[in-house]
Amino acid sequence: MRWRTAHQPRLTVIRALLVFWLVVPLTPLVLWAGASRWSGTVRLPQDFGLRGWQEALDAGVIAALVRSGLLGVAVALIATPLGVMAGRALGWRLLRRPALPSVVLLAPVVLAPFAVAMGLDVVILRLGIPGEIAVVLVLSVFALPYTTFTMRATYLGLDPDLEEQARVLGASARQARRRVTLPAATTGLATATGLAFLVGWSDYAVTLLIGGGQIVTAPMLIGSAAAGSGNDALSSTLAISASLPPLVALAVFTYAASRRRTAAHS
Amino acid sequence: MTAALHLSSITHRHPGDDQPTLADIDLEVQDGEMIAVLGPSGSGKTTLLRVAAGLERPMSGDVLLDGTSVLDVPPERRDLTVMFQKPHLFPHLSVLDNVAFADRLRRRSRTESRAAAQRYLDLVQLGDLGRRRPRQLSGGQEQRVALARALAASRRVMLLDEPFSALDTNLRTSMHQLLGEVRAALDPTIVIVTHDLDEAGLAERVGVLVEGRIEQFDTIQALYTAPKTLAVARLVGGFNEVTGTVESGVHHSSLGSLVLPAVADVKGSAILLVRKERLGLVDAEASATGRVVKVRQSGPHQDVVVELDRAPADRRARVEVEVRLGTTLRPGDRTGVQLPGPDGLWAVDHPVVEDASQISHATSEPAIFDSTTRGRG
Repeated sequence: MRWRTAHQPRLTVIRALLVFWLVVPLTPLVLWAGASRWSGTVRLPQDFGLRGWQEALDAGVIAALVRSGLLGVAVALIATPLGVMAGRALGWRLLRRPALPSVVLLAPVVLAPFAVAMGLDVVILRLGIPGEIAVVLVLSVFALPYTTFTMRATYLGLDPDLEEQARVLGASARQARRRVTLPAATTGLATATGLAFLVGWSDYAVTLLIGGGQIVTAPMLIGSAAAGSGNDALSSTLAISASLPPLVALAVFTYAASRRRTAAHS
Repeated sequence: MTAALHLSSITHRHPGDDQPTLADIDLEVQDGEMIAVLGPSGSGKTTLLRVAAGLERPMSGDVLLDGTSVLDVPPERRDLTVMFQKPHLFPHLSVLDNVAFADRLRRRSRTESRAAAQRYLDLVQLGDLGRRRPRQLSGGQEQRVALARALAASRRVMLLDEPFSALDTNLRTSMHQLLGEVRAALDPTIVIVTHDLDEAGLAERVGVLVEGRIEQFDTIQALYTAPKTLAVARLVGGFNEVTGTVESGVHHSSLGSLVLPAVADVKGSAILLVRKERLGLVDAEASATGRVVKVRQSGPHQDVVVELDRAPADRRARVEVEVRLGTTLRPGDRTGVQLPGPDGLWAVDHPVVEDASQISHATSEPAIFDSTTRGRG
């Protein structure tokens, strides 16, 4: 209690700084998204309006967001189960020599997506793999380190003997995983899924190079608007549109997790 | 009568080990019986339970439930359950759902499973904690929930792997009491492995496991009064040991010639065993006399170590005598030692050891030391 009282002001300052750090970069975007006219020399927009939003709708932002969402879901569906399996093996030290698999699984983070995508582009074209499938597969590889190492940390904190306990209470090996260790790893699983989803949702380089410009996702629209049109209202509106869904999802997840914690302590 | 559980000639060796962890173990548990497997750390107790539960496969031997081999049956389909040393409560489930887990696996409805689980929670006196999460329980409460969950699994045999060893003395005593109440109410068949003699004393029969072998399978009283081997006597503790020879049922040693009980079937080189509480301290005119060399506290008693006069100076023998608190004897005092009659004596074959020092290394503190043996006893 005394600790809380003594550290309360410092905590408040740290929280305020964190919010400030997150909000400041977004402020110009929000202002631009609500501006009809804002010349470069003026501090605030001269006219407010929804021009940027109308142009974003005309540019196909809804379809692009849906495509980004589908891409994120597809990547999460592939990278999360693989990450669970790899994380379980690494976290519970089921492998005799875990060093090599760890390095291989980390490699996609080390490699630059542009370099990999440009190299794979030609291979995929020659193999005749459809662009959408190729993008999903390559992004899943890039998402795998995040899911694997999140799940590795989760399994490190989970006692492997829980599965044996479940077995001797009547659960098959599969039931022990499905009904005991996976649910016990829910928080890590949700984090891994979220990270894999974000890899698909926010990707630009792989979608552009391997998709050949045919798959128009939200980052592709933002990139195109920012690079070509010079229309800051449209670019900002697209950026906010792409940022809001993950932010809302994060808020919902955090709220649900805090509700669970509160319920558990009551 | 067919045993509820029969471990038949079980031999098991962990990969990479030279010696088997379990060597030709044979144990039978009757329906409704509780047996204990008593042994020091590393004696193979936990491995034995894991083999019985199907979590490890033996090199040879068989596991039979009601006379039927279950060696090829996976753990979940063996009619056994295990309560481990750690409670292993499932952290994502409430206490009630932990106890209802086995019933839910059997596809009983959630309502029915929870109702049954509530009855078992009531039995372990935690009926009002069903909604809590495991992390909100104390260590003792966690073990009670684990016991309720094992009981709710309604298996033919319950295997308990040192389940109360991590609890403090008071909690352990209350868990022993609870286990007694559970047995009175449900009459389950139980195998408990432990290194604690008090815990082993809860069982009808005790198998003493030493270095992977069952040295004796008997009642706890028999272990205290008639251990089959020196290893059993040393595991049980509290014995004075003195080396000598047995001829025609009489043990000859520095203590004199003492008549053994008729059931002690020993001949030749043998170690006489006398429990320290069966010896008494009397006036210095007794048949055995000596000088007090040490007085030490031992739980609610005191142990007085007496160096006997009878042995020649180069073969001094010491005995340890348990007395009530408050003895006035001090080191250097002279005292007489009252030896018990044949019913308080026992003898075991003297183990043949090429290097005598091996005996002394393998044992705890000697109660009688005869310098000629260079070892215990």
